[in-house]
Amino acid sequence: MEKLSEIQIRQGLSVFTNLTDNKLLTHLNSCVHCGLCAESCLYFLKTRDDRFTPAHKADIVSSVYRRYNTVTGRLFPKLVNAREMNMDTASEMVDLLFGACTMCGRCTMHCSIGVDIGFLVKTGRSMLSNMGLVPATLQSTIKAALESGNNMSIPVDELTSTLQWMEEELTDEVNNPEARIPVNEPGKNILYTLNPREPKFFPLSISAMAKIFFAARESWTLSTRMYDVTNYAYFTGNPGESKLIAARLWQEMDTLKAGKLVLAECGHGSRALRWESPNYMKAHFPFKVETSVETIARYLHQGRIRLDPEKIRKTVTLHDPCNLVRNGGIINEQRYILKRFIASFVEMTPNGADNFCCGGGGGQLAMSEYNDRRMKIAEIKADQIRKTGARIVVTPCHNCVDQLTQINVTYKLGIQVKTLAEIVADALILE
Amino acid sequence: MNWHHYFILACMGVCLAFCIYHVIRLIRLGKPSDYSPPAGVVTEAVVYSFTGAMNPAKKESAFLHLPTYSAGILYHLGTFLSLLLLLLFLSGMILPIEIRYPLMFALLASVISGTGILIKRFIKKGLRNLSSPDDFMANILVTIFQVMTILMLIRGEMFPGYCILTGVLMLYFPLGKLKHAIYFFAARYHLGYFFGWRGVWPPKQT
Repeated sequence: MEKLSEIQIRQGLSVFTNLTDNKLLTHLNSCVHCGLCAESCLYFLKTRDDRFTPAHKADIVSSVYRRYNTVTGRLFPKLVNAREMNMDTASEMVDLLFGACTMCGRCTMHCSIGVDIGFLVKTGRSMLSNMGLVPATLQSTIKAALESGNNMSIPVDELTSTLQWMEEELTDEVNNPEARIPVNEPGKNILYTLNPREPKFFPLSISAMAKIFFAARESWTLSTRMYDVTNYAYFTGNPGESKLIAARLWQEMDTLKAGKLVLAECGHGSRALRWESPNYMKAHFPFKVETSVETIARYLHQGRIRLDPEKIRKTVTLHDPCNLVRNGGIINEQRYILKRFIASFVEMTPNGADNFCCGGGGGQLAMSEYNDRRMKIAEIKADQIRKTGARIVVTPCHNCVDQLTQINVTYKLGIQVKTLAEIVADALILE
Repeated sequence: MNWHHYFILACMGVCLAFCIYHVIRLIRLGKPSDYSPPAGVVTEAVVYSFTGAMNPAKKESAFLHLPTYSAGILYHLGTFLSLLLLLLFLSGMILPIEIRYPLMFALLASVISGTGILIKRFIKKGLRNLSSPDDFMANILVTIFQVMTILMLIRGEMFPGYCILTGVLMLYFPLGKLKHAIYFFAARYHLGYFFGWRGVWPPKQT
């Protein structure tokens, strides 16, 4: 097995010494190894593998901290299970922190002490990122975003032609030539972002949101230079790369002089932009930001759009994306929207801030080497959906849409998976 | 004052010094500065973190493991009681017999809880794999401390032995997991701060 170089080890351990506040120190020293967090984790619940308990994942990070940063760990490493940072430890960290955690944060909420296990997992991922040990599949997604401006390396002309096609579809659908998908237009109220999955695989979700903007008579634009709401570097905890990716949307807002940045339906993208990017930039937002879920809820509340309650006759359930809901506080808005026009709406159990992850979070969908594990743990979400009896599952996250679509096939659920914009667009009443 | 008084006071001093060191380190590093605009009221969320969020009905770790959770609560209460009694013993105060008996029974329940947790850690494979020798040591030392407190309530002449064993606990306190007694409060604060800033806590009416 290859050995870690001294430089790699030093760079990995630097996360413990470059402290800017007491949060990391607190959580590294708080776990009492009670193991009561086990059942809050999809991986443990589905496999009953003790290695997958959240406490075990947190402990592998803390154990390295103890070895190099505590007196007991230096003098009596076996007493406190303090581990050397070597290739064995690093390999185990990669498997547990990248391959067996969606960073959903459910364990954090249920921890008997209050240890932010998700934060420790992210710290562990940062260490691995510093050491150059991020799984190649995930790192290649980041590389694509850094080099091309979007994580799927979609060329500008391909995007432009997709948008033109969608604009034609929209114009036909609403039978109004004023219905447009504006591009690179300065001085608009809203700069709307996209998840690159939309132009690549789900272009109809772009026209769905455009239809909502049209119905609300919104002044908005897309950018073909920088539109990617995702930030996969968030998943590796690499602040430099995260900042580079986030900075481009900040820059585009400045270039287009838009009033508000509206984040497309993407859980981690919303989290990385709304909550993390000001901290990457060490600056307050110079513009307004909201998620598209909040935008649609606002339109409904202000009476700018109306929805036909007769349109959707099937039973609908809602999947809460962890980054948007538990870690982002967008809990009621999507319910407010759906309850306004869905006759048969059924909640999953548990739901809201206590929801189970779909299994695709934390960059799992980008890491094909863990596909089998990802689909195994997804059975929990499949069972949740089945119990609701719903025929349509709505989720305001394209990442979750991908995972739920795969769950639908694997577990033969016979459901439709829709984004919030898509189901709202289906029921829009156009004047 | 006898030698065992000096010994226990010295051990308590060392323990206290380490605790102060940890607290000062936390204070000096300070809380994270978040540049994102908040979506909730942090103060309310921090209060909720120490109150509502600790409600066993709200935490899977509690309501799915009620016997262990209850044992843990009893055990911690027993530890706090033992610490309080340590101060009383050191002050030379003699408790009346009608108070000593209920205290002994309360501590006995705590010792049984602590022993139960220890046995669980030994016999459950998953928990054993998660544990380090420190986890066992911490549990054993605290349980011995509580047993010695019961014995002290029965026979005051156990005081020298009580002082030695309690002193060992005090010296061990800053070295391992027992220091979670300090970090627990910081962890709950951070949790409340995080979920409060993001408007998740206190829970919203859906």
